[in-house]
Amino acid sequence: MQRSLPFQLFRYAAIALALAITLVPILWMVSMAFKPFSEWQSAGANLTWIPNAPTLDNFRFLFGDSGSDLIVALDRTAGKPILSSLLSATIGTVIAMTAGTAAAYGLSRFGSGANLPLALIQLRLFPPMAVMIPVMMMWAFLGLMDTWWGLALIYGIVTLPFAFWLMKTFFDDMPKEIEEAALVEGCSRLRVFTRVTLPMMAAPLAAAALFVFILNWSDYLIALLLTTREWVTIPVYMASLSSSMTGQLYGAKAALGLIAAVPPVILGIMIQKHLVRGLTFGALKQ
Amino acid sequence: MSAIHLQGLVKRFGQFTALKTMDLAIADGEFMALLGPSGCGKSTTMNMIAGMERPSEGRILFGNQDVTGLPMGRRGVGFVFQNYAIFTHMTVRQNLSYGLRMMGRPASEVASRTGTMAEMLGLTALLDRPAAGLSVNILQRLAIGRSAVMEPAIFLLDEPLSNVDAAFRAVMRTELKSLQRQFRQTMVYVTHDQLEAMTMADRIAVMDHGVLQQVGTPLEVYNDPVNTFVARFIGAPGMNLLPGRLLQHAGGLCVDLGPLGISAPLPGPLAAAAASAPAEVIYGFRPEEVQLDPAAPLGLPLTVTERIGARSILHLGEGETSVRAVFQSGEPLPEAGLVRFQPAAAAVRLFDAATGRAIRGV
Repeated sequence: MQRSLPFQLFRYAAIALALAITLVPILWMVSMAFKPFSEWQSAGANLTWIPNAPTLDNFRFLFGDSGSDLIVALDRTAGKPILSSLLSATIGTVIAMTAGTAAAYGLSRFGSGANLPLALIQLRLFPPMAVMIPVMMMWAFLGLMDTWWGLALIYGIVTLPFAFWLMKTFFDDMPKEIEEAALVEGCSRLRVFTRVTLPMMAAPLAAAALFVFILNWSDYLIALLLTTREWVTIPVYMASLSSSMTGQLYGAKAALGLIAAVPPVILGIMIQKHLVRGLTFGALKQ
Repeated sequence: MSAIHLQGLVKRFGQFTALKTMDLAIADGEFMALLGPSGCGKSTTMNMIAGMERPSEGRILFGNQDVTGLPMGRRGVGFVFQNYAIFTHMTVRQNLSYGLRMMGRPASEVASRTGTMAEMLGLTALLDRPAAGLSVNILQRLAIGRSAVMEPAIFLLDEPLSNVDAAFRAVMRTELKSLQRQFRQTMVYVTHDQLEAMTMADRIAVMDHGVLQQVGTPLEVYNDPVNTFVARFIGAPGMNLLPGRLLQHAGGLCVDLGPLGISAPLPGPLAAAAASAPAEVIYGFRPEEVQLDPAAPLGLPLTVTERIGARSILHLGEGETSVRAVFQSGEPLPEAGLVRFQPAAAAVRLFDAATGRAIRGV
């Protein structure tokens, strides 16, 4: 459609503004991650978008090398928190997706009534804090405090409703005739599920898993409450990056932020094909 | 051993009764079409034969075996769905061979039977293509092949041609019929398209509102509908049905058709049957059986003439007293004004106006 020039200008200005608001902090983080101590610590002195002397010192610092001009040293390196985040978020996603997919399939095909599916999201009715304190006590009792498996378990439980609801919508949309066709051929229910349903649901599964993973990966509150030292995750660890001498270690935080952004981006690129192919199934004339 | 007997079949969904007491016997090797408008219960019947739904009441027998409680995988039926239900994550070959592999047939047998079926359906060149990108026509052909390759004794098809295009539908009608001749399966074919039912079926079961209306050969259903629903539903256009009243006139039992005039005397057997019937009747005749004659007893003004290639349809009158008449295009037809006509004597059918049931001469 042909639109007037002022409208086009306004449109691009609006888009540019939106992009600036969302992208500037990210670009600033990337820039900061490669700045040496002298550049990121002296705020206001010489703010530059491009580091004058790009360096990997911030990354080295995170992993234990106290660098050239930074006089503080960390009492723990970023390695363990990264491992903790990877383990808890991944296993949590596996738990949520496995249980959520199975529950969604069962309720979508054999369930009746709307109460049970709705009951699954009641955890979301409470402010997280109200739920987390009792959980903390239970975890302490079970000896799951400050362990990656304790975190993975609670992540799986907290994101289960999301996995369930996403997958239920997808299962509801999948034509049941495809399964019936396999059943008529003498296929067992379980086999229909593993050989026909799941392969056809590859795209929705991937999309839901990415969504759940990002939720787990970016959690701060739960990890803050359930871990103390051994298995703190990236967000909790990041908050502790400061020292009495230099204050907030912005350079190290930016470097860690950049590292934290990598897994979701890689996952996103990996399943992009599925995301783009979308959630329509070619078998049915809609 | 693959005759199908439906005995007192009832299906209720909550408050709604989808099927009311259906009794139907389908012979071994018979091609039976379940025909009716949407919502008539034909698909529900089919799903119960396949085992996808449990009947609320009644029994289903294959041969002498009661299969009412048998899960669908163990009934040994082939099923073709309206929306193909092709496994789009597999290739054409994997789809075709799915059932055979599921039964654990040896690889050589799977390959040869799949190959033969692909050959028969013209799918050989596409065997290694992924099923996801195929056209609707090919998908439905593949769906039929996937079921047929199992050589099921009972083959169920649920509106398999309603999504494909018209030209392909004509081709598939012929192919399905020859497929059935070749394998001699018992075939149950659900459709709302009477052309499919008339051309392929040995017998047609006409259904409406969950009730089986009539079972008969295509010609029986066409010539001798048991009630006004079947009369109107079968045929394109359907039978002309005019409200009237029986009376003695001109030396015989006639029907007073109000504004149209009084019909010619009814033929002997029909008059005998009508003698004991209530006076209020519905006078019916096929549009193809109308004769134009300036001296004919009935008359209506011409409203519209439809010309459809080889045929022309005259629309006479309006509303309740309207008649459609079909002629070959070569015949001289009136252009306007009052048209006088009468149905061929043998083509006249009478229905009870109160119940809609046919009044039949012997």
